[in-house]
Amino acid sequence: MPDAENFEPRIVAFLCNWCSYAGADLAGISRLHYPPSIRVIRVPCSGRVDPFFILQALQQGADGVLVSGCHPGDCHYLTGNFVARRRFAVLNDLLEFCGIEPGRVTFAWVSASEGERFAKLVTEVTEKVKKLGPNRRLKKELP
Amino acid sequence: MDRSEKLRQRARELLEKGEVVMVIGSGPPSDSGISPVLFATTPEQAENLTASTSCAQNLANYLLKVRDRGKVAVVARGCDARSITVLLQENQLKRENLYILGIGCEGIVENGRKSVACAVCRHPNPLIYDEMIGEPAAVAEPDPEVSRADAEWEQLSPDERWERLSAELDRCIRCYACRQVCPNCYCPVCFVDASMPQLVGRTHNLSDNMVYHIIRALHMAGRCVECGACHRACPVGIDLMRFNRRVAKTVRERFGGDAGTDLSQPPALTVFKPDDPQEFIR
Ligand code: SF4
Ligand code: SF4
Ligand code: SF4
Ligand code: FES
Repeated sequence: MPDAENFEPRIVAFLCNWCSYAGADLAGISRLHYPPSIRVIRVPCSGRVDPFFILQALQQGADGVLVSGCHPGDCHYLTGNFVARRRFAVLNDLLEFCGIEPGRVTFAWVSASEGERFAKLVTEVTEKVKKLGPNRRLKKELP
Repeated sequence: MDRSEKLRQRARELLEKGEVVMVIGSGPPSDSGISPVLFATTPEQAENLTASTSCAQNLANYLLKVRDRGKVAVVARGCDARSITVLLQENQLKRENLYILGIGCEGIVENGRKSVACAVCRHPNPLIYDEMIGEPAAVAEPDPEVSRADAEWEQLSPDERWERLSAELDRCIRCYACRQVCPNCYCPVCFVDASMPQLVGRTHNLSDNMVYHIIRALHMAGRCVECGACHRACPVGIDLMRFNRRVAKTVRERFGGDAGTDLSQPPALTVFKPDDPQEFIR
């Protein structure tokens, strides 16, 4: 078990192809530094993110999950993120209700031009998850 | 003429005239106070119908199973009618194939105790019907015990909530009775049964149990009518209404309205407003 000092969280990031993934790309080509904690999964749209994906990432041992799409009004498919937003709102409330630590799962809007914001976001999310420590709640441990 | 007698008379007429092929309602209550579901296809069978509102099932569930048979009459309390509304919104039933005999509901009482769903019911009277049998029921004050328990839950720390819920859901044997009795849980292949790919583990491992319950509750968001059929069906007594109340509250507070109360509106999670609250998004 990693001790708290050396704990390097693994954070699964679901990024929409058209905005947030491009934002991450921009952060990269701008040579911005941010923690190497995220494992990016590119999805066509935030509307493609089934809440089940988020739970499964946690089940399989991710310490945190980041979901990011285009700002409202900018979705490549026009309304994908609006519909997703309602789903995420209910999921977010349910996670709170169940006692999943606030900060395990983060939702964000990041545009293709917000490379700097993306780097900052990942830094903050990583710090937060580090403070929470390893994910033990939803992680599936076989007896 | 008392309400049950009136109901029997109307059911007989509907069957005799061939206006419906079946009447779904409930029979005389047993000693525990619970009425069994009754399916009448002949006027004689309709003789056993009662206007008891203490049937543990949500009768809309059965409408799905006989929807290919022609026009069916159903005795509907507030929650049965709300489920029917959800099924109509989702194109699972045809309104012209239904004849809704509405009854004002006094709640489901088993061994002298009101079912927890009924103790906080906000819609005891059907909001859609073809005719009402008897008088509408008065909306009772919600049981303060339930609101107190919900408020207390919200005060707990995440750690305490997790601990309590873990203890509760560790007992779930994943029999899926809660899904089977729910009229609005009708997917031909439920996510827990999908095998290509398999989405959630089949064991009653705590992590899988949590995921089952979170996703089930999510799938019911804006669609659960808080009838409590799932809660009553659970063989190990898991407090499913705790989940359902929370989700209904979230939907009500964020998007407005109770599931199945307005046929002209689509279910809350299938639509959006550009200015839906998003304080939780960074
Ligand atoms: S739990 Fe979800 S997938 Fe399963 S039947 Fe209900 S709505 Fe369908
Ligand atoms: S989830 Fe339970 S309370 Fe909600 S509609 Fe289904 S059976 Fe009724
Ligand atoms: S009815 Fe009860 S035991 Fe069965 S799957 Fe549902 S919650 Fe679990
Ligand atoms: S394409 Fe980015 S949120 Fe829909």
